[in-house]
Amino acid sequence: MNVNVKKINKKLQERFGNAVHARLQNGSIVVSGHLSSWADTITACQMAATKYSTVHVVNNIICDEAKEQKMRVPSLKDDALDGRQPDILIIGGGISGVSIARELSKWNLDILLLEKEADLALQASGRNDGEVHPGIDLSKGSKKHYYIRKGNAMYDEVCKELDVPFKRVGQYVGFTNIYFKPFVALYCLLRKKRDGIWDTKLISGEELKRLEPNFSKDFKFAISNPTSGCVCPYGLTIAYAENAVQNGAEVALNSAVLSMKVENGEIKSVETNRGTIYPRLVINAAGVFSDDIAEMANDRFFSIHPRRGTNSILDKKAGAFMHSIASIKEIKVSKTHSKGGGILHTVHDNLLVGPDAIETYEKENVETHKESIATVFEKQKKTMPRLSERDIITYFTGVRAPTFEEDFIIESGRRTKNIIHCAGIQSPGLTTAPAVALDIEKMAVDFLKKEKDVTRNESFNPIRKGVPVLNEMSDEERNALIKQNPDYGVIVCRCEEISKGEILDALRSPICVPTVDGIKKRIRPGMGRCQGGFCAPLVTQIIADFLGVPLSEVKKSSAESPMTFGRTK
Amino acid sequence: MKSYDVLVIGGGPAGLAAAVSAHKNGAKTLLVEREARLGGILKQCIHDGFGLVRFGEKLSGPEYAERFVDMFREEKIEALLLTFVTRIEKTEDGFKVVLVNRDGVEPVFTKSLILATGCRERTAKQVAIHGTRPAGVFTAGSAQHFTNLLGQLPTKRCVILGSGDIGLIMARRLTLEGAEVVGVYEAKPTPSGLTRNIHQCLHDYNIPLYLSHTVTRVFGQDRLEQVEISKVDENMQPIAGTEEIIDCDALILSVGLIPENELAETLGVKLDPKTKGPICDGQLMTSVDGIFSCGNALHVNDLVDYVSESGEEAGKNAAVYARKERKLLPVEASPALLYAVPQVLDLNKENKETVVYFRSRNPLTACTFKILVDGEEVFKKNYPFLRPPEMERLQIDFDSFHLTEHSKISLDIEVKDHA
Amino acid sequence: MRELVCIVCPRGCTMHIDGEGENITVTGNTCKRGAQFAISEMTKPMRTICTTVRTIFPEVPVLPVRVSEEIPKNKIFDVMQEINKTVLSKPVGRGDVVISKVCGLSADIIATSNVLNEMNKQGEKK
Repeated sequence: MNVNVKKINKKLQERFGNAVHARLQNGSIVVSGHLSSWADTITACQMAATKYSTVHVVNNIICDEAKEQKMRVPSLKDDALDGRQPDILIIGGGISGVSIARELSKWNLDILLLEKEADLALQASGRNDGEVHPGIDLSKGSKKHYYIRKGNAMYDEVCKELDVPFKRVGQYVGFTNIYFKPFVALYCLLRKKRDGIWDTKLISGEELKRLEPNFSKDFKFAISNPTSGCVCPYGLTIAYAENAVQNGAEVALNSAVLSMKVENGEIKSVETNRGTIYPRLVINAAGVFSDDIAEMANDRFFSIHPRRGTNSILDKKAGAFMHSIASIKEIKVSKTHSKGGGILHTVHDNLLVGPDAIETYEKENVETHKESIATVFEKQKKTMPRLSERDIITYFTGVRAPTFEEDFIIESGRRTKNIIHCAGIQSPGLTTAPAVALDIEKMAVDFLKKEKDVTRNESFNPIRKGVPVLNEMSDEERNALIKQNPDYGVIVCRCEEISKGEILDALRSPICVPTVDGIKKRIRPGMGRCQGGFCAPLVTQIIADFLGVPLSEVKKSSAESPMTFGRTK
Repeated sequence: MKSYDVLVIGGGPAGLAAAVSAHKNGAKTLLVEREARLGGILKQCIHDGFGLVRFGEKLSGPEYAERFVDMFREEKIEALLLTFVTRIEKTEDGFKVVLVNRDGVEPVFTKSLILATGCRERTAKQVAIHGTRPAGVFTAGSAQHFTNLLGQLPTKRCVILGSGDIGLIMARRLTLEGAEVVGVYEAKPTPSGLTRNIHQCLHDYNIPLYLSHTVTRVFGQDRLEQVEISKVDENMQPIAGTEEIIDCDALILSVGLIPENELAETLGVKLDPKTKGPICDGQLMTSVDGIFSCGNALHVNDLVDYVSESGEEAGKNAAVYARKERKLLPVEASPALLYAVPQVLDLNKENKETVVYFRSRNPLTACTFKILVDGEEVFKKNYPFLRPPEMERLQIDFDSFHLTEHSKISLDIEVKDHA
Repeated sequence: MRELVCIVCPRGCTMHIDGEGENITVTGNTCKRGAQFAISEMTKPMRTICTTVRTIFPEVPVLPVRVSEEIPKNKIFDVMQEINKTVLSKPVGRGDVVISKVCGLSADIIATSNVLNEMNKQGEKK
């Protein structure tokens, strides 16, 4: 691809004077200089970038606002992983890393996955709306587009194998201005015929009203994509990881990569808080930190610019208002890149409203702000006027990890040979993950085969069984299970109807995370309308009894997050 | 299928009183409680002050509850503990209630149903607190559970948001156990809790109370480290520029109680947006025939004595309940009232000794509570003062007003002077 | 002069208290009981305390207790300290004395719940 650096520099000069300039280096456009604000830094890099291009912008601008951003590293220090020589070291326990681990566990390989947090899916993979996208906003030529239909189509089987709830609820993008209909019809036709988004169709306002009676009466027509679905994003991540572990992979939590030793274009060793690891191949699935990992590997040819989004979760009572995924399309120039939010009926029958999209230099700041919620609700009330902030039971923020080209990077290292990057993953990264994992599996096996043969893991079992969900069973099934294990009949979380037996099952699951949040993520006690007001002390007690430790040893999440400070007397 | 006349859901003070009363009125009664012990939330309310109206004594929560538990046991009423109601279905002549416990899943039949499910606490996110999600953000009830039942200290230095009684009680309780309570912050310009509690829980221990202040953000990645406090304007909106950061390891919330009526709603029981409890008639029957409501599930009471009273009333009426056409007359509460219970009267029943509970919307002095029928005053009572934290109770002979289905009955408070 | 909000009834009169010892005068009260309350608050304020006492039983790690009668306000933390030293090693019932004449006062510390006895009975049944 031809890159006209002169033209980029002219634009930068016009906007920023001599503060920043671009140059072509090792096949990337390196933008450097000095700016005070992060917004300007983003603008400068965006000016240098071409959407979906494989010539990436590397942001080397010194930004005053964004100085001194450091990755949070777990306090744990030991030598549990010291001297390990895995065939494959996967960095990152989000949906990308765990799905790759699971696909690679089909082979007789020593696979080690590192996650720096206390649990899997604690960053973007656990902090998104869980939509399985149709790809209606993607045109041919991008990696996103290449993987979207493949990934979407795989969901039924993957979720069945991994025992994860998945529903194809359909997506509607509503329009209020009838005059746009011919243009939108043409757009749909292009998407369908040219881009292969085959399920796209245009439906009338009346049809939409019939399907979703609570939507705005102002909708004149809508784009419908019936193959859109929803999944519990952290549930799927944990399920993938458990299946990988069942098939021989190893997952190490609280384990962060700190540096790497690279010689002659090859990673020799990887330094962690738990010792030095000597992998044959490294897979970079580090999300917002994937450019930092690339830098450690001496292979930084792209940059991540974090983009924050906040979602609200609404009470199940509001879940009855609609049963699909929907948003309103207002035709005006939008500065944001990702979708500006929507309403989604989750697999657990709550509503999810959001997310917004705000550029930020803070890769790990997941604080929520009231403005985010106000903005999203203002917009989405136009989709469904019944929507009310009063139904909010909680909210959360996630940080997306886009490149300036707004596309995925799924390729081997450009300068360093024993690394594969799975980077720049943002929406629709959850949808594409199953398909991407298959491609990376192939790339990794091909790479390792060059050295010595790689054989199939004959005992690979794609089936993972989750903790039984008793409240979704028939009375007969539920009764039978309780007869086997009476703890299934002791309800601990009354909002979500979770029993002690299910909590103990989660504590005995393949990747045990014996914290209040770990249990909450796996089987939902505390996810309901009382937000753990009633069950948090009970769950804490069950964990303490299970571990045989005093109650004050039980954490909410990280090692530094105790629930209590010991006995009162 | 086992069959009962009355099934009571909830073994707290309302449910226990309801079950005893239903049983004494001749009903075959079953009480279902999801916890292992009877007594409800009173088990963890170890402070005293309960039972002054009923027993003329200041009892602690467990003592008050156990008096009712003793009565319940003496009557040998059937109870299922550690038992959860997963579903209720209406049938032709009553209700099929599906129960889950260690023995399995079992449906039982009942002619009438008493919902004594209590209330839950409003959470941090429901009062729009933003920031991180660290350990150390507790509702007052959770903090109380940790402290009083599990003997665990949930904080060493905390901020309490909300001056509701549980918040005030926890301020004292945590101080007694050696924790430091930096202050109690209340968004409203007046305290939500009883004066007695402000005096004995805060003043006694030099804990400051800040009115018209709220917590706007929390900080801390792991355990809570700081909170941001802001002053609020008359619309309770934070005033920019008044933010103050306070170091603490816990934020304890006492920001309101919400009657629990999710089960009721699945049965089509209509709720009053003011009380957030079911709309009930003078017999405490909800909009669905055969379903009764009492205690804090009906409306949030100030004293447990009234919780028991409404339980007894519901229990008695559920026991003698017979399916009969109802002639309902709405009882309108003017905006001067925060709410009033009952919200309707059934003219086909006796309403001679109907108990009315109400709260004023604002603190008032020298005012008159009035009942008007078709604009005519039929009852009045002077009050030297009325305060929203304190609930009022009156027994009214509605039958003496000669009501017909065309009557327009309303409750009002006439104010001579604002407090 | 001191200001005190009356807690005898919900009316909550704001009272002003002047003088000391025998010569206390109360104004702002609207009833006799209010004046009595003010005087006792100024001369010898008394309080009830409710807390828990530690046990050796893991199912019931603490048992709720209270003082059998009001104690002087300034003794609260002394009494707390005494209670916190105690560990129950066998079940007691509601109303049973846990500590008699605590800190040399006329008040006992009494259990306010039967939970330990109930636990014991259930244990026997098993």
